[in-house]
Amino acid sequence: MVPYETAAAAPPIPIGNPPASSSSSSSNTIIPKPPEIDGLLAGAGYKVRSSDLRHVAQRLERLETAMLNSPSQQLSLLASDAVLYNPSDLSTWVDSLLSELNQSQSLPSLPSDLSDLMSNPTALDGSWMDQQLPPPTAAVHNQQPPQLTVVTAVEEDSGIRLVHMLMTCAEYVQRGELALAGSLIQDMQSLLTRVNTGCGIGKVAGYFIDALGRRVFAAGGGGGVPGGSAYENEILYHHFYEACPYLKFAHFTANQAILEAFDGHDCVHVVDFNLMHGLQWPALIQALALRPGGPPLLRLTGIGPPSPDGRDSLREIGLRLAELARSVNVRFAFRGVAAARLEDVKPWMLQVNPKEAVAVNSIMQLHKLLGPGSPGDPARPAPIDAVLGWIRSLNPKIMTVVEQESNHNQPAFLDRFTESLYYYSTMFDSLDACALQPEKALAEMYIQREICNVVSCEGSARLERHEPLANWRERLTRAGFRPLHLGSNAFKQASMLLTLFSAEGYCVEENEGCLTLGWHSRPLIAASAWHAVAETAVGAVSDVPVVGGVVL
Amino acid sequence: MARSNEVSINESKMVVPLNTWVLISNFKLAYNLLRRPDGTFNRHLAEFLDRKVAANANPVDRVFSFDVIVDRATNLLCRIYRPSDTDDPPNVADLEKPVKSESSHTVPVIVFFHGGSFAHSSANSAIYDTLCRRLVGLCKAVVVSVNYRRAPEHRYPCAYDDGWTVLNWVKSRTWLESKDSKVHIFLAGDSSGGNIAHHVALKAAESESGIEVLGNILLNPMFGGELRTESEKRLDGKYFVSVQDRDWYWRAFLPDGADRDHPACNPFGPKAASLVGVKFPKSLVVVAGLDLVQDWQMAYVEGLKEAGQQVKDLYLEKATIGFYLLPNNAHFHTVMDEIKKFVGSIC
Repeated sequence: MVPYETAAAAPPIPIGNPPASSSSSSSNTIIPKPPEIDGLLAGAGYKVRSSDLRHVAQRLERLETAMLNSPSQQLSLLASDAVLYNPSDLSTWVDSLLSELNQSQSLPSLPSDLSDLMSNPTALDGSWMDQQLPPPTAAVHNQQPPQLTVVTAVEEDSGIRLVHMLMTCAEYVQRGELALAGSLIQDMQSLLTRVNTGCGIGKVAGYFIDALGRRVFAAGGGGGVPGGSAYENEILYHHFYEACPYLKFAHFTANQAILEAFDGHDCVHVVDFNLMHGLQWPALIQALALRPGGPPLLRLTGIGPPSPDGRDSLREIGLRLAELARSVNVRFAFRGVAAARLEDVKPWMLQVNPKEAVAVNSIMQLHKLLGPGSPGDPARPAPIDAVLGWIRSLNPKIMTVVEQESNHNQPAFLDRFTESLYYYSTMFDSLDACALQPEKALAEMYIQREICNVVSCEGSARLERHEPLANWRERLTRAGFRPLHLGSNAFKQASMLLTLFSAEGYCVEENEGCLTLGWHSRPLIAASAWHAVAETAVGAVSDVPVVGGVVL
Repeated sequence: MARSNEVSINESKMVVPLNTWVLISNFKLAYNLLRRPDGTFNRHLAEFLDRKVAANANPVDRVFSFDVIVDRATNLLCRIYRPSDTDDPPNVADLEKPVKSESSHTVPVIVFFHGGSFAHSSANSAIYDTLCRRLVGLCKAVVVSVNYRRAPEHRYPCAYDDGWTVLNWVKSRTWLESKDSKVHIFLAGDSSGGNIAHHVALKAAESESGIEVLGNILLNPMFGGELRTESEKRLDGKYFVSVQDRDWYWRAFLPDGADRDHPACNPFGPKAASLVGVKFPKSLVVVAGLDLVQDWQMAYVEGLKEAGQQVKDLYLEKATIGFYLLPNNAHFHTVMDEIKKFVGSIC
């Protein structure tokens, strides 16, 4: 977006999303909900079963009394220090506050209701959780209205024209009218010369026009991403890491969750689905080094593409990490697994020891498994299901998942195009705040490759099949995972980190136990944590899903 | 202490539906955690707790929304809500398609300031997103919800400045003009938002901007003063709100060293300038009979009348704060009808 100047024209980005598309969850006005949930409170962002209202009200009364009996210093301290989770689940929320308050009070005798709580653990588990599980056959997309978030700034007139043309072109592409699309692309390219492509809409539009061009003019369809050796990708990735906080947030949040999950374990094993330069791991190694009681034995298995030139780049990264671990006295072992695609990895390659606590870490990798997979035996499970299946078989203590918060995997091309136009415009807007060069320029190239893949590729070549948190929640739940909630401590630290290191405008939000990072009011990436439930327990939740909390 | 607490819990439970009671009590208790005795505010926890919704450019019940950055320097964001003719997704429709192309009638533009006692909530808070959407359908209006800067990090006059910035921005949007080439502007707000609406309207009237605000809609507006009024004493702590918390929020918003007779808090108090002769908009002031601030709100109404301004007050005897958040009570519907009539009578 162009930096704000004096009032001028209007908005750049039009819209267009057929109702059939899936979406991230929203709570705008009337949404069909399971009949048990109070619809009005749901609209306000709270999930309470109607039948639970009285109980929650009683708990609120008790909470009020408990708070009245606490000096206000203590309340503030509680607010700062206690780790709280998932405010949407009112019932559990109120109970957790009550238990925090009662723990922090030095009153010797506890009221009888509290001892009820302590001796009756199921009272804390918010059996409402059962209701959250969709029936296994539930369709993924039909419940929520489609969500399309737009954050715009003041724009120029030619910007609007350009966007109109882009949308029209995308429509032609969807209808298969490639000749019309092609001529429109040429018109847009010439209009681009009159628009400021240095920033704002001109810049994003340029990349989208380019991507459309690849799609329309490339021989045999499937335009393909510009260039793209693994080595180049790593460089771009590194600069994207430096130029904006998305990856740092992902790493930081995941590490926090992993650290907590590893609490009390002496042998831990992290499986990283995309090692790259291992940027995520020094912080975890150092945190483990400092942990009270001493560090565990840490094994790291890094998955990455094979190096074409004979270098074993995975091993090189591993060696550097080992050096760091040695310097802080953390016993460390590294293993590299070279695989062109995640679905080529077999669990035996990871050599997981049953006594280890395993953390599986997936930063923007799972969506690549949503494609059609290799042709052949139709009875074979889809790549995503196969991979989620073997992850589950590893029985990980935690699986951290970070994904782009947008739907770029809708069946209709126009929908994908529209949504990605908005998504990447917002992301570019956030990048504008970065002053570092060449980080910014290379970060833009990194994003450009994603755009190209979303817009100009199809079939197995289209890897960037981003889907929103709501879809991942449903998918992971169906695959036998349950959420481990990220709490107020992770939220606060992420927010503070952002204040220190990034431009104003970035925004962390809590979304039912997950955290999102976005630009202004638009979430752009979502971080969540999961664990696998035992095979026999699928469909009957019995544990309190908190990271680092006591499982009752 | 405990006994009066029991009494107050029982009383408040009797006057609102159970889900409303749960909602507002939850806010109350959560907010207790956020206000620190030293006057600072636990903003991280506040943001963690606030239930937000993203804008949605796809219509839901014939209303779609999108966010606009009005001023990059202060990161001032607004959420715009527009009516849609159909439930179909806008087909390459401009977000900022001129309103006059969609309606031959005058289209009111309501600049809305959410409540939260100057410290809580945002334009994208779920409760306010819902309320703004209702206003669109009710008044066939475009609603512009202002994400103003909040106390205590940003004291007076930041919120008013942000309101003023948005008012100017709205006035200059050609796409918001009705068929007569004018933008028909209303200001609205609840709690602190009502207070902001008053002061922004005042600034518009007193400045030479030529910006005409057609009407002000104030829902349980937040006013106060040094004096302890009868309603404050009688209702203290009884219906979700206490004098102590009101005092805290004023200390957080007003300039250091100011007292509650500062004109921001007490617009008809000893330190305020007269409104006589000021071209102030017509006002609709809704007062909840169980709101401890009501004496100040009624004093506001009187103040407007005495200054020769047009004002209609709607006093709802058995309403508590927040009654307009959920459509499950008669007061809600009464107020919505009044708002619709008020806007309709002017536009």
